Amino acid sequence: MEQELKKLKEDFERDLAEAKSGTELETLKVKYLGRNSRLAELFSQIPALSGDQRSFWGRRLNQVKKDLAAAWEKATGSTDGQQESLDVTFPSSAVNSGSRHIISSTSQKICLIFQKLGFDIVEGNEIEDEQHNFEALNIPLEHPSRDAFDTFYLNLAEKNNGKYLLRSHTSPSQIRVMQKNKPPLAVISPGRVYRPDVVDATHSFMFHQIEGFAVDTEINFSQLKGVLLCFAREFFSQDVNLRFRPHFFPFTEPSAEVDVSCIICKGQGSKTKTQGKRCSVCKGKGWLEILGCGMIHPKVLEACAIDSKKYRGFAFGMGVERIAMLKYGIDDIRLFYENDLRFLEQFSL
Amino acid sequence: MKFSLNFIQEFLKVNLPPEQLAKKLTMAGMEVEGFEKSGSDWIFNIEVTTNRHDWLSIAGIAQEIAAILGKNLRIKSPQDKKQPLLLERKVIIESNQDCSYYLGRSIKGVNIGPGSQKIQSLVVNCGLASINNVVDITNYCMLKWGNPLHAFDQDKLEGNIYVRRAKKNEFFIGIDGKERVLDKENLVIADSKKIIALAGVIGSKNTEVDDSTKNIFLEAAIFSPLTVRRSRRRAGVDTESSYRFERRVSPEYLEFASQEATRLIKEIAGGVLKGVTKAGQKPKISPKKINISLNGLETYLGVKVPEEKFKTIIASLGFKFQAKAKGQYLLFPPLQRFDLIREVDVYEEVSRIYGYEKIPPQIPFLRKAMDSRVVDRGKDIYRFNSELADYLARLGFKEIISYSLQGREELGSNSTLLGIEIINPLRKQENSLRFSLLTGMIKSLGHNLNRSQSGLQFFEVAHIYLNDRKGFSELPALALGRSGKEDEFFLLKGAVEKVLQYASVQIFEFREEKLPFFSDGLTILSKGKVLGFLGKLDQETVKRFSLKEDLFFAQLNLEELAKISGEKRYKPISPYPAVWRDISIALKKQVSFKEVEEVIKARCKHLVDLRIVGFYQGKNIPAQTTAFTLRIFYQSTDKTLTAQEVDIFHNDARQALSQIKGLELR
Ligand SMILES: [Zn+2]
Repeated sequence: MEQELKKLKEDFERDLAEAKSGTELETLKVKYLGRNSRLAELFSQIPALSGDQRSFWGRRLNQVKKDLAAAWEKATGSTDGQQESLDVTFPSSAVNSGSRHIISSTSQKICLIFQKLGFDIVEGNEIEDEQHNFEALNIPLEHPSRDAFDTFYLNLAEKNNGKYLLRSHTSPSQIRVMQKNKPPLAVISPGRVYRPDVVDATHSFMFHQIEGFAVDTEINFSQLKGVLLCFAREFFSQDVNLRFRPHFFPFTEPSAEVDVSCIICKGQGSKTKTQGKRCSVCKGKGWLEILGCGMIHPKVLEACAIDSKKYRGFAFGMGVERIAMLKYGIDDIRLFYENDLRFLEQFSL
Repeated sequence: MKFSLNFIQEFLKVNLPPEQLAKKLTMAGMEVEGFEKSGSDWIFNIEVTTNRHDWLSIAGIAQEIAAILGKNLRIKSPQDKKQPLLLERKVIIESNQDCSYYLGRSIKGVNIGPGSQKIQSLVVNCGLASINNVVDITNYCMLKWGNPLHAFDQDKLEGNIYVRRAKKNEFFIGIDGKERVLDKENLVIADSKKIIALAGVIGSKNTEVDDSTKNIFLEAAIFSPLTVRRSRRRAGVDTESSYRFERRVSPEYLEFASQEATRLIKEIAGGVLKGVTKAGQKPKISPKKINISLNGLETYLGVKVPEEKFKTIIASLGFKFQAKAKGQYLLFPPLQRFDLIREVDVYEEVSRIYGYEKIPPQIPFLRKAMDSRVVDRGKDIYRFNSELADYLARLGFKEIISYSLQGREELGSNSTLLGIEIINPLRKQENSLRFSLLTGMIKSLGHNLNRSQSGLQFFEVAHIYLNDRKGFSELPALALGRSGKEDEFFLLKGAVEKVLQYASVQIFEFREEKLPFFSDGLTILSKGKVLGFLGKLDQETVKRFSLKEDLFFAQLNLEELAKISGEKRYKPISPYPAVWRDISIALKKQVSFKEVEEVIKARCKHLVDLRIVGFYQGKNIPAQTTAFTLRIFYQSTDKTLTAQEVDIFHNDARQALSQIKGLELR
């Protein structure tokens, strides 16, 4: 076998020296290193050998193969001007990019719109007490109005302000700011909130809200409408409209729920544009509920030692997940917290 | 709540097509969730907000519809006719806090049967089941007036009637057939021997009206909203009756409801009213007075409501009023409305009937005091955090949001590292607040590693919650996570340095430390203050979460970082070239690179940077040794360094390094 190898090497070196073009070199490669080469044939004899012999010749043949390949590589490198062209049809390599999470970027986008209108951005704490989460907001203990705010309670020693809990809305920030600062005030406050809801496609025990409010001597309902319309047009699109429906919240009076004209069917619901088909996003109503708002209840101002005869305010609150789901057509709230790359990557910054 | 349009017609003619009525109701605050035809009737399903107990009655809804249609509806007040007193049975109220007033009527000689078709269909269309003539009539009257009534089979009563708290472990079987063990939280109606009803919630099986009933005891009462709420929560039951009592029922229609029920029973089921018994005092509602000025209304809403319109609206809502000075009115709200107390309540009533859509949108100029302290510039943590998050995205990290709640022993049962406990968790997996962002990172990375992803880098900005001897606290934190192989540690370390550099933190150091859950760890410090840590997740934790790659994790305290974060200042760039020299080093494991670095920094003149340009492995490198080439950059700010000068500096460095035990120059 050693004889064979010696001959093989000689032949190869001779052929290699004579080869001129890239094509000839390629042929050479196939001849000496290809599947039907003499070397390959020698490899195929190895399994038939006995133990010791087998490993010896295995190593030996591999070494020769390596040498030949190295010599061939060296030769091809020196054939100048004969460089192979790139197969540009191969797929691209992965390019890593970072991104913001769709919830934080949506929240930030919303906050910045209000900031431009003159609101300050203030974040509150998530650990709150009953006083700030309920009482100061005119939600008395054991009143049916508390039923809308199921709450996680924390195992922390109770102090003057009642039991500790995880805030069930961002409204306590309103109280905190009003207790600490004198009007005029205009504040927007985003953050996480918690309610013991069993997780499904539309519920989560943790979600995000944005609370906004303004307090001054001349604040009125008409300005509340203006500020929110301005926000909706900036955030969704210039052609959306808002609909204010009277509602009840303990902490505002008058109160309203606000719908935005459906961004998919343009508020048509089931008529004309969609050719009679019911719009699946707004369920044919033409409107999508996006937030709650109202004039701050004088009791709430009074709870913060603000003179309710002199000052008035408006306040509003919205759910970030809901707004992001509407805007981007996301149909399952769980996607936000699963952090699947295939989801995150769809919203690169 | 469901209401039937035919039922409304008993008070008010409504000619509006149902779609239009639904829209008008919704736009006035009575949200119609749906409506459907049922025979000759239309059934509306409405949302009743907690402030509108009056909408839990057809009378109240009719009043609302009248207001929307601009009609005047005067529902007549009940008249107390002379009625025989019931002497054979007394009612004793234990505490008037729980029950202020109790009215009982004895009707004898009734025949139980199916009853009137009309009442049956109205009751059914309002979402209640039809039972028999007497029960249907009590439900009909409850629906109509909002006051729940209850009919007992009088022959099953023994002795007087007591309104009292249940004793601990008293037993009760409701007409729903369910057995309940009661306690002091439960208010009950009892006779001398037994409990006959869970007051205001549900009647008892033992005194239920059935086909053989001949004589009836009809109850109408005012129970305390809070007592009923606690009692029904305790008993784990929610009924049409408790729903109304919890939201307060009006005493105004109580007598009327009871009288009308009596009259209907006589008409439909036969029988004779034998007597009336009363206990307690019918609560007197003192008529409220609210002063309103049209000017005040206009400045609150930002729209002028014409005076005539204003008067029509308040009249149709049932207010009585007196005109005072010009544009000033004294209003007397309808007695059955408890929610109209101050000016703003009237503003809402007027504006919602007038129409929110008639209020024009306006952009305010938001004044702020110039010395406003709402957001202290230097501590604008929101801005700092969101800009930092943008920066991390630019660095190639993907932001995640993970749950703030985790299982209390998810990371092990080390008691010093248990988060703040949640008293009423939904599940064991979410029974505490996290003290670190680690589990969220592990789960998010794990989720993706299980889906054939690899080499991930994530970040999260969120709060962590600590509880120690000083009390509890909540801090904003940043988590960085990379999944992958050994050398990812240094990429993560580089990312941490980038963050510190971004925050213009000039002075910081890494200190080797054994950290829980990490096999190789560093604490990040600045001027003695701990800013955070980074490390490689230990194998125990990797296995605990079945991670398919190693995890490198860093966490920084953003409050601290924001506090020490400096302003950016331009540093002059040297116009003279930097020159580098390499040193190859073999370092025994017991010597850390830090020692090498310290010696070089102390001894090298004009040193501006040092980098590792390669690690070496192979036969020539002894075990327990790391071999690498260090590239040292020399640069002067005031001249070009010559090769000879650099060689001198470099030799100095080599000299110094060769003194280190366990270091070999190669
Ligand atoms: Zn639509």
